[in-house]
Amino acid sequence: MSTPELTAPTGSGASCGCAEYAAVSRRGLLRGMGAAALTWSVGSAVVSAAGPALAATTTSTATDGSVVVVLSLRGAADGLSLVVPHGDPAYYAARPRIAVPAEKLLVPDGFFGLHPSLAPLLPLWRAGRLAGVHGTGLPVVNRSHFAAMEAVEDAAPGSTERVGWLNRLLGELPGSSPLQGLAAGRAEVPTSLFGPEPVMGFRSLERTRIAGDDKWDPNGTRVRSLERMWKRSSDPMGRAFRSAMAAVDDLEPARAQADRSAAYPDDDLGRALASVARTLRGDVGVSLVTVDHGDWDMHTDLGTLGWGRMRREAESLASGIAAFFDDLGSVADRVTLVTVSEFGRRVAENANHGLDHGWGTVMLLAGAGVRGGYHGSWTPLGTSLDADVPVTTDYRSVLAEVVAARTPASPTVVFPGFQRERVGAMLGQ
Amino acid sequence: MPSPYAPGRYRATPTLGGGARHLALRFSYGLTPELVSAVKGAGGGLAWFDAQLDRPYDATADASLCDWWPDLHLDAATIWQRQVSGGRGTWEVMADYARRLLVRRMTSPHQVHEVMTDFWESHLHVPANGDSQGVWRASYGDVVRRHALGRFDELLVEAVTHPAMLIFLDNATSTKSHPNENLGRELLELHTVGVGAHTEADVKASARILTGWRVDLWRTWEASYSPQDHWTGPVAVGDFRDANSDPDGRRLTRRYLRHLAHHPATARRIARKLATKFISDTPSEQVVDELAEVYLAHDTAVVPVLRALVRTQEFRKAKGQKLRDPAEDVVASYRALGAEVVAPRADDHAANAVLWQSDAVGMRPAAWPRPDGPPLHGDPWASPSRALASMEVHWSLAGGWWPKKGVTWQSPQQWAPELPIEFRDLVDHLSRAVHGRRSSRQLLRAACDAVETRPGERITGDHRLMAWQFNRLLGVLLDHPHHYHR
Repeated sequence: MSTPELTAPTGSGASCGCAEYAAVSRRGLLRGMGAAALTWSVGSAVVSAAGPALAATTTSTATDGSVVVVLSLRGAADGLSLVVPHGDPAYYAARPRIAVPAEKLLVPDGFFGLHPSLAPLLPLWRAGRLAGVHGTGLPVVNRSHFAAMEAVEDAAPGSTERVGWLNRLLGELPGSSPLQGLAAGRAEVPTSLFGPEPVMGFRSLERTRIAGDDKWDPNGTRVRSLERMWKRSSDPMGRAFRSAMAAVDDLEPARAQADRSAAYPDDDLGRALASVARTLRGDVGVSLVTVDHGDWDMHTDLGTLGWGRMRREAESLASGIAAFFDDLGSVADRVTLVTVSEFGRRVAENANHGLDHGWGTVMLLAGAGVRGGYHGSWTPLGTSLDADVPVTTDYRSVLAEVVAARTPASPTVVFPGFQRERVGAMLGQ
Repeated sequence: MPSPYAPGRYRATPTLGGGARHLALRFSYGLTPELVSAVKGAGGGLAWFDAQLDRPYDATADASLCDWWPDLHLDAATIWQRQVSGGRGTWEVMADYARRLLVRRMTSPHQVHEVMTDFWESHLHVPANGDSQGVWRASYGDVVRRHALGRFDELLVEAVTHPAMLIFLDNATSTKSHPNENLGRELLELHTVGVGAHTEADVKASARILTGWRVDLWRTWEASYSPQDHWTGPVAVGDFRDANSDPDGRRLTRRYLRHLAHHPATARRIARKLATKFISDTPSEQVVDELAEVYLAHDTAVVPVLRALVRTQEFRKAKGQKLRDPAEDVVASYRALGAEVVAPRADDHAANAVLWQSDAVGMRPAAWPRPDGPPLHGDPWASPSRALASMEVHWSLAGGWWPKKGVTWQSPQQWAPELPIEFRDLVDHLSRAVHGRRSSRQLLRAACDAVETRPGERITGDHRLMAWQFNRLLGVLLDHPHHYHR
């Protein structure tokens, strides 16, 4: 289904020299009003982003331009299907119909192998820039999608504050531009980015304009009146307005980049990642990005290599990530992507070629600073109907390695009260 | 010396008092002159509200409300057959479903009924996208509408055993050998007692109780009860116990669902959601307790709870604090502009096109992708992308640029109550008409900024404002914080 473009004749402010006055005026008035992370959405995929210092210029950062992209696999992804423990006999015993045959696995070692639909990731794997950490998750089992997602994204158990870990991380990075934190995919701010640090989001780069701020308004009257109405609003919508108004002009270098979405899979994740890559190529100071990708709740029809939802979803994921890193070009050297899912699924298949809610799952890491290969410690699986993948690595240990390896922030601030354990999935860690 | 920005006072345009406006804003999709006059005619906010609640449900009248999309009357099998034979897809029929919701919200005089239908559709959420449940989704919506101002125990039984819900949460193919836990879990976690009030053993027993309710997916789409698929044997969910020896578990299911509906944890969960939707994002524990008691004392009937809710001090003090969600924003904008939408004859007619506008701002009705329903609190919708998207849609509506067909927009001459008129009085009139309240100094200054006009300027029929800038002035009204909140 396609969504027709809205056709309001608002013109193109960006290409028009006469919008310059309004732009200057907005920068002068709104910078420093406290706007900083970026969120945008494409159908079921959500992208959010946040960035390092974005002062008068849009380059140089204290983090050398490092970017962390958090890709959330919504719905609780089955780690056993993505990174298959073919060396554990319980896997085959518990999944007589939906197990991936060992001989079909990609890049197997003595114990693990990748789902064949992840083939687009092989170049990253061979370059040593793709890692999987198995047996990750929340330290205490939580089978509620919604409670688990919130716990994973807040990453501050015991705190009643609604502040996501990426928002805390933003607070630790120099700079205060809304562009530091970017969310792409849907209209909502994801829990991980929610909090006092301003963030930015948009649904598509083309739409990052203030309607009415165009060549027919050479004196900037539209923006001036909006500023007057929203500058004192202390509620979250007021903050959102100020973030949007502060950030739209600064996105111009991103809009100026070529749109290469045609090289991506024609799905929500592909479109979202294409817009993220374009923004990162524009070097506008983004340092954190969140992208949601969501149809992993496979109670039924997870299926086999021949049919079903896992095959489709894994292929979308892998081709999207592969296209993303290709598209980034040299920028890829600064970008680290990590996947998170609220929990994994049970070991044993159910009667519907599916899997009910479980516990541990796999986290994938790709790109800059990643130590490629299979990581994590393994506890042999059980085969009962209730058997879970035991969590042997707290998901925060993996994220903390990314934070420590790629940002100047302290993991102990980002993950309060948490003592990380070494995973070794990031170089230098 | 008076400020040059002293607001005008155009008393001829009626407004509601603060309390009545608050009530009408919370329980409608936005003020219109008709709603203002209905509230005044009823004798005030509470009298209007009570009359809306007292109105007996009329299924026939309700069904004919904006009945502009004939495919919504098709049965499940027909919808599916048409899709597989290359005709209109289920997703297109479901787009019609969302459109009908939007236009009913826009036009219905029974605003409280629409608001509560929306509330329960979100609470017992079944997304209206997805081939499988989509074929049954319009029928599911009818069930929710019928009970929107009724009893939760009756609504719960009908909703949970409806084919759309059985399909969406995988109960339709559950078996006794390995009961699928999806519906059994969400029934406890989302629809009734909530997180913390049940155990994993409860989830399993819940799933066992629900086995037997089947739908013949991808073939006839018929719903049936299959005793041979029903798990028998003793079950326990919290303090609910049953021997469950009858292979026909339908009566057991109904007993179980009624038990859950009357559970104190369910009462608090419903009370909290009602308070969050209609009072504030952070309702007090006290008001939640109070409403939960009313709910239990009235056998899960929602009307007494709503009557109590609007009479709490907490409600009265919470004026203007709720952010409109994307669909509420779009519908309220059409209402504020006095748009007259008629039955659509093509895709670009307003009653169809409004769906894309709702998408653009953030979400169409009934499209939230997860079973927990869209957020009732404002924070997730208070995003920069929302701000940009709302402004874009408001701008095209204020100019009457899109959609242009199947809708009548007011001309500047119709907006102006008289000509010539002093600018500050025109702004005050617009504030009363669009925001339902008198204008402020801040609004007047923003309006002056937007059209480069002085407050005392005399606006005549050939003033540039009337000739080609009126959209800028309406844009100020639609992008003012008042219009974003209810």
